[in-house]
Amino acid sequence: MKLRDQVWTIKAVVPTASMADIAFLLIIFFMLTTSFSPERTSVKLPESVVRAEVTEEASIIAVTADGQIMFTSGEEASEPLSGAEELGAIVQQIIELIPSKEFVIKADREAKYKDVDAVLDALRTNGAKRIGLLTRPEAASSSPSL
Amino acid sequence: MADIAFLLIVFFMLTAVFTSTQGLRFQFPKDDPSQLNVQPEEAIHIKIASEGQFQVDRVAMTIDEMGSYVQSKMSQNPEKPVIIQTDPEVPYYVMIDVFDLLKQLEVKNVSIPTESEIARWRALGFLE
Repeated sequence: MKLRDQVWTIKAVVPTASMADIAFLLIIFFMLTTSFSPERTSVKLPESVVRAEVTEEASIIAVTADGQIMFTSGEEASEPLSGAEELGAIVQQIIELIPSKEFVIKADREAKYKDVDAVLDALRTNGAKRIGLLTRPEAASSSPSL
Repeated sequence: MADIAFLLIVFFMLTAVFTSTQGLRFQFPKDDPSQLNVQPEEAIHIKIASEGQFQVDRVAMTIDEMGSYVQSKMSQNPEKPVIIQTDPEVPYYVMIDVFDLLKQLEVKNVSIPTESEIARWRALGFLE
């Protein structure tokens, strides 16, 4: 056996037969876990330790850091509103149809309290009963930031 | 084929937004004028100033001191009402921190008056 004439080349081969399988599994995972929420304004929610699940058909009122109000009654995509008065009129109509409708306030943590206060006021004076304030989870051991 | 599969993956990854569906829930009380007489006098009054300082029953406190103060009052009277009066310029998360703390301490009767309610109470002489 003449070792000099034998050229040892190393071929690194990654079997790619299963790559498509993995890709399809990932697709199916994301297809099943994607839920198209009507309210997609990206907002930095405040943290809270105590959290309760809000109702599925809740109406969502988003308040951004600069005070812009977006509203959805839970069915269609959210639309911007000019202010709390417009919100008040819409809330009144909704309460007439469904008195127990839950309203969820999805406000940015840096939103001025007066913007959220105006929303709460509009909800209260137009007869809303159940309110939720959306938050993100916070560990109980971390101290609140100021 | 794998290219198309990857394109689909990327599409669904980008459109999957992990939305929060949990938060703090509460109910507005019935708009009952008689309730106004009970709350402001015997309630713990937490005032959040525009810089984020807390004043509990007229005494300046940090949030931890407020926690122990409320807890001691609650052990005497579990039905003790608490009023959170927030200055309009305060960032929202400060009020949420206080509300969350009260919920952790299992305060049953939290009142978050809006500006118009505060004005009404002032006119009736309940608040300073």
